[in-house]
Amino acid sequence: MRQQYAWRSKLLAGALAFFALMIVSQMFRIQMSVEAAEFRVQAKSYSSETKTFYPDRGEIYDRNGSLLAGNQIVFEVGVNLNMHKDINVIASTVSTVLGLDYNQLLYDITNPPVPNLSYLVLADFVDEPKAKRLMEIRQKMDEQAPDGVAGALNALEFKSHPMRSYPEESLGSNILGFVNREGRGYFGVEEKYNDILAGNPVRVTIPTDPNQAINIPRIPDGSTLILTIDRDLQAAAEQTLDDALALYGAQNGIIMIIDPRNGETLAVAASKRMDLNKFWDYGVVYENASDFNPAISKPYEPGSVIKILTMAAALDSQTAVRSTRYLDTGAILVGGVEIRNWDNNAWGDQDMTGCLQHSLNVCMAWLSTQMGPETFYGYMNNFGLGHLTAVDMAGEAAGRLKVPGDADWYPVDLGTNAFGQGVAVTPIQLLTATSAVANHGRMVTPHVLYAMVRDGRQYNAPAQYAGTPIRAETADTLSDMLAYSLELESSNALVPGYRVAGKTGTAQIPVDGYYDETQTNASFIGWGPVDDPRFMIYVWLERPSASIWGSQTAAPVFSEMAKQTVVIMDIPPDRIRLSLASK
Amino acid sequence: MQNVTSLPHLVHAYRVAPWRIQRQWVGNILLVVVGVAMIAALYLDVTARAAIAGREIQGLKLATLNSQHSSADLETQLARLTSMRVMKQRALALGFRPVKSQEIDYILVAGYRKPAPEILAIVPQLGLRAPNIAPEYTESLLDWFDQQIHIGGLQ
Repeated sequence: MRQQYAWRSKLLAGALAFFALMIVSQMFRIQMSVEAAEFRVQAKSYSSETKTFYPDRGEIYDRNGSLLAGNQIVFEVGVNLNMHKDINVIASTVSTVLGLDYNQLLYDITNPPVPNLSYLVLADFVDEPKAKRLMEIRQKMDEQAPDGVAGALNALEFKSHPMRSYPEESLGSNILGFVNREGRGYFGVEEKYNDILAGNPVRVTIPTDPNQAINIPRIPDGSTLILTIDRDLQAAAEQTLDDALALYGAQNGIIMIIDPRNGETLAVAASKRMDLNKFWDYGVVYENASDFNPAISKPYEPGSVIKILTMAAALDSQTAVRSTRYLDTGAILVGGVEIRNWDNNAWGDQDMTGCLQHSLNVCMAWLSTQMGPETFYGYMNNFGLGHLTAVDMAGEAAGRLKVPGDADWYPVDLGTNAFGQGVAVTPIQLLTATSAVANHGRMVTPHVLYAMVRDGRQYNAPAQYAGTPIRAETADTLSDMLAYSLELESSNALVPGYRVAGKTGTAQIPVDGYYDETQTNASFIGWGPVDDPRFMIYVWLERPSASIWGSQTAAPVFSEMAKQTVVIMDIPPDRIRLSLASK
Repeated sequence: MQNVTSLPHLVHAYRVAPWRIQRQWVGNILLVVVGVAMIAALYLDVTARAAIAGREIQGLKLATLNSQHSSADLETQLARLTSMRVMKQRALALGFRPVKSQEIDYILVAGYRKPAPEILAIVPQLGLRAPNIAPEYTESLLDWFDQQIHIGGLQ
């Protein structure tokens, strides 16, 4: 009996062993089969995905943390061409919600650009409310469809991605620039710091194996920038400029404000501005690229504001001192050409303050000829005329300063350049040069970048200086002379409670090779408080019709802007500030 | 002294029955099979849990990205609602007007210092990096054995 059981057990064991052997051999056969090799290749192709990651573009803030450029979510709406059931419903719904052409959509879906295409983009950069509306309709159709059957819009797919957005719309548009849909920055900060803001696109192979999920790389976002711009001051400058254009009938204008102590640009208002969220309107708003931010890219003949630099050169080279007397006869001959005053009058015996106060061309031409071309142009060169200021906004122009030796330089230029004719500068060049006078001889490099934030760390941009073209004593003396001259003539530029220094400019605009007396560039450059300058304001009004004179147009605009600046920047009146300081 | 093998009855008495030997063999084989099955089950369990954790990581990374986008979007919306133009309209509607410099009274506050504009020092982002993940979630059973052998954990 036991023998019989033993035989049966052995038979069962043998059968099981054979079965197990069959399983193993079958596994081996499957593993070695041609199909298995194909599956392995197929699996390998799915094991990873090579993808280019575009980091989110960094944001831009003003100096007080107000967002100037951010990112908003938009959607790409597409259709899965392998899943769609009723293209008429899809085309009809999408065209209704997104405002697209129904027939075009129908044609695109039925005639995809590439054969065997599985996914077709119907619309991109769709804003969130519209995309959500489409999603809701799709969901309702899914709910209304019979059980187990997909809704008619089930083939619609939505992919979200960020898009540049400017919450302040046109405020500071000339400083910021814009980003197109391909993610490239144009003009201003967006172009200048495009690489830093955009970050580095990284092409990586991502494993789909969940066991290797930790190998998915972390792509750092683009850096966030904090600008030196003050949003409130920028808004005030734009409003003041708009009011001035309307009041004085000027065609264009600029108000630019910097901190003369460190070169921080606080506001740049230009008359032509655009809503940066509608960057495609660029061609409608601007005729030339230089119109986008004329403060840095539009050189012009500045006129009398340049007399500040001429006088600085004369004082610093000791060609003249504050008390030097000059007998103004109303005309001077330079290079065989007669130069006359703005009013064609002789102003008689004047000291250097009087020359500035009455803006005497003849006196300035006398000073430049006394200095000689080498000294005069040496100073102008040191002030940076004809050179880029290296401001960190895209599109800066260098202007033009003709010097002896240039083919188009004539001896008379030594005289005319001294009062701002025959020389082309940008507003930012003049601000940079004049900052040396306000800042005790040290010239600043203008900039808009306050700090950069990357990986949670903030890197502040230090102030940079562009040399010391004049001595501190010269700068302080000239500041006092300019402030005194404003007070003497009860200038429209004066600011109650604050001592300010500055100079008007009225430059005739050359038309067909001749200066047109009826068309002028009216400007004013000034700063305050004189003993501790916190702001420097440049006003330029192009072709004002109410008056051609800078003293009657640009000067009061400076005063108005300065009044608002001291409020926004919390600068107490001189009397209070000095009494507080003495405590 | 008498040789034990010379006593057949004693040999027969102490010899293990053949069926016992077979049972021992079967038992040993079954023990090995059960052991292998347990190890396989453990390996399967660990692998499955690692895969689930990996999927969660992938999902969380996607969720993190979406949250960042959503956060940026909300920040932009907030900035739009508090933009200069909107705030000015609201202020004017509430009866406010811009202050003039002559209307401001300045007082000396001892120790007060106007805050510098460095206000955007943000908290560093917490990145999910391999060293932060416990090895239980990353190493295979073979890795674990290898590790234990190296550190002498298995005696």
